[in-house]
Amino acid sequence: MQQLEIHNFLIRYFQANECEITENGPGYLTVQLTIELDKELMNRPFYWHYLEKTGGIPNPMKLTFITNPQIAPEHIKGETVHFGSPRLHQIFQSTKKLASYIRLYENHRNGQQQTPLMPWLCMNVKISYQCDRKRDIYKSIGLQLINGQMIEDFHERLQKVQLTPKIPDYSFTLSPLVKPKSGMSRIENYLKAVINEDDHTWAEDARRRWEQDLRLLDHFYEDAEEENESYETEKKALQDQYEPKINISFINGGLFYLTDNAV
Amino acid sequence: MTVEIEFDSSWQDEFLHRIDNDGPWGNWDLFKLAVGVEKHLIIPEFEGLQAPNHLPNLTPLPHQLETAKQVIENMNGKAILADEVGLGKTIEAGLILKEYMIRGLVKKVLILVPASLVTQWAYELNSKFFIPAISQRKSYVWEQCDVVVSSIDTAKRDPHRDIIYRQDYDLIIIDEAHKLKNNKTKNYEFVQNLKKKFCLLLTATPIQNRIGEIFNLVSLLKPGHLGSETAFYDKYKRDARSLNDNEHLKELVNKVMIRNRRADTGIEWTKRHVETIPIEFTPEEKELYQAITDLKSEGDWVQTSAFSVMTLQREACSSREAVFYTLKNMLQKKENPTKEFEDQIQNLISKVEAVPSNSKAEKALELIQKIDDKVIIFTEYRATQMYLQWYLKQNGISSVPFRGGFKRGKKDWMRELFQKHAQVLIATEAGGEGINLQFCNHIINFDLPWNPMRLEQRIGRIHRLGQEKDVMIYNFAIQNTVEEHILKLLYEKIELFEKVIGDLDDILTKLDFGSIEDHLIDIFGQSCSEGEMRIKMENLTSMIDLAKDMQKEDSHAAAGNS
Repeated sequence: MQQLEIHNFLIRYFQANECEITENGPGYLTVQLTIELDKELMNRPFYWHYLEKTGGIPNPMKLTFITNPQIAPEHIKGETVHFGSPRLHQIFQSTKKLASYIRLYENHRNGQQQTPLMPWLCMNVKISYQCDRKRDIYKSIGLQLINGQMIEDFHERLQKVQLTPKIPDYSFTLSPLVKPKSGMSRIENYLKAVINEDDHTWAEDARRRWEQDLRLLDHFYEDAEEENESYETEKKALQDQYEPKINISFINGGLFYLTDNAV
Repeated sequence: MTVEIEFDSSWQDEFLHRIDNDGPWGNWDLFKLAVGVEKHLIIPEFEGLQAPNHLPNLTPLPHQLETAKQVIENMNGKAILADEVGLGKTIEAGLILKEYMIRGLVKKVLILVPASLVTQWAYELNSKFFIPAISQRKSYVWEQCDVVVSSIDTAKRDPHRDIIYRQDYDLIIIDEAHKLKNNKTKNYEFVQNLKKKFCLLLTATPIQNRIGEIFNLVSLLKPGHLGSETAFYDKYKRDARSLNDNEHLKELVNKVMIRNRRADTGIEWTKRHVETIPIEFTPEEKELYQAITDLKSEGDWVQTSAFSVMTLQREACSSREAVFYTLKNMLQKKENPTKEFEDQIQNLISKVEAVPSNSKAEKALELIQKIDDKVIIFTEYRATQMYLQWYLKQNGISSVPFRGGFKRGKKDWMRELFQKHAQVLIATEAGGEGINLQFCNHIINFDLPWNPMRLEQRIGRIHRLGQEKDVMIYNFAIQNTVEEHILKLLYEKIELFEKVIGDLDDILTKLDFGSIEDHLIDIFGQSCSEGEMRIKMENLTSMIDLAKDMQKEDSHAAAGNS
């Protein structure tokens, strides 16, 4: 993420959370937090608790972020954020937390014509291959809950569709034939099938490294007569280090009601 | 393929719950942002380093990046980092730690370092690597914080020990790991029983010279890598002098150890210029020095060891204040002092009082005015330090004091004062490791320590990575005193000052004959005549020369192999 991307990301994040950007200059920005976001980011529960007990006037904080110290005016004081700084990481987490689940409708331009909207289940996931090393794969899957059609890069396809949180006039949703719960397991099975077809020499290699170290360990302790505690500890450590695992974790997802040829 | 796939189902349960309750639903803009963030956080490849892209305040050197990559890709995150001094082992360890944290492979980390470096480690990890490391002060820290820095002595004691054993650490880093070379110690046992998934051992002194030490360290990191203890010693002679004796063993060790040498890094080091400045005592100073030297031959002084006479001699070469302070202490500490003892001290004190000026200080002032730039003065004595500060101030030169005992914050503050406001820094100890004074390139050794490593550390404060100018070293020595002997017979002879940091520790570990300081005390304290002293000094320097030659051969051999 380049510094300008971070700058734009922050603006979008705060705007999406209805905070006013009071200053937006070269390499820096100042934002007036809302009460909600102050509670979300500033970690001062005692202040809010005190305020609620005493009925004082809430005074959410104002924050200044420096997104590029090279071009920010010198008199500006604030937190320098960059990719990897704890503050940015916190805002990333908050972004994910605040938008884990969604339901949206296509804001179609069909005027007064009655328009049916098809239900789609969307799941954005991260697949992680993990041993003593790691790599990730991002996937966005959409499943049409009436005919069972499944498509990849669903999130990317949605970018060209106009969406709204309220169902547009003259529109009606079709009830899903596939229940969300079984839709989710269809996607799960699909992802597992995709993973199974992938190349997994990485896991075999990891097991080989594991096996090698295990042999060395046995050799080291072969003179030890009885059960040895540090032997068991080391053995467990090797398992934690090398055992290949695949995790599928969720980024976010939800229900989308779309016109027939939207995606 | 039989890799287990874990599917996080917590998301699904909550999702169904929200469908039933008709919300609440997230905001589309945030939803898109979250996906965008996640795409940025994805690690696309098993290989390569992600960490450098996340560290805008740090430009790692090529050998540091290469080391981090090696450790992660070829050593599976278990390694001994044994770079020569000054090449940035801490940076390498930080890079590796950051890389594992970014990849989500490491969360819980234990960092064991010497007590004096705890704060500094925590500070560097926070400021350079944005790793929220905490220095351990309260016992709840072990459980509640993910990245903890502590001294091994604290960690191994109750109640900490048991709490630590209960933690599930992903990565353990041990600085100054060569202290764990003996497997019979409590420290060794403590570390051996820690669960080590990923593990880094950092050592500044080369360990490849003693085979038993190598075995112990490697076995701590990777038990069995060198076989079991009996099998190992059956195969390799316990007294084998060097790793170089056995190619196979060397190869095995190189699988878990990285040692970058300065010469291989291709980094250009600036030169050292050394100037010895002989100084003559004033008659009064000379008289004081002589009175102290005469104590050796006086019978009444038998209660006092040669050591304190020598201390007084060395102090007399520094400042009358230093002598006075020691004399006062001797008088106070002595239980039931005899009349003779008191008289003798009083006599010396009167000699101290008779000294009107300090020849060295005058010379230092002259030199500082001539240099007209930042200067660091090192002295062994607190009393001298205070005197110098006063003396320079009298002459319109601003200075700040510096001591190893200062707290971290005060050290940083003094450094900043020196950089921005003062011309001179007067330091009693080189102990301020990690404090960077590269903006200065002049050192005055007001007096000389008897331990060459200390001297090396002094110079190392300014002659390190980042120093852009040649370094000027001025050595003060009073003529016809112990000081001159040390300088002429030892330091100049072994060309100590011209050496670059790191060569020296190699040389000194090759010498298997105890500390140089002890030898000096013996030579100066026990010699009956000037001639005897000279011969003993000759012996000492030729030992050092021998070690130097051995080292040259080694590096030639190494160069020949590669």
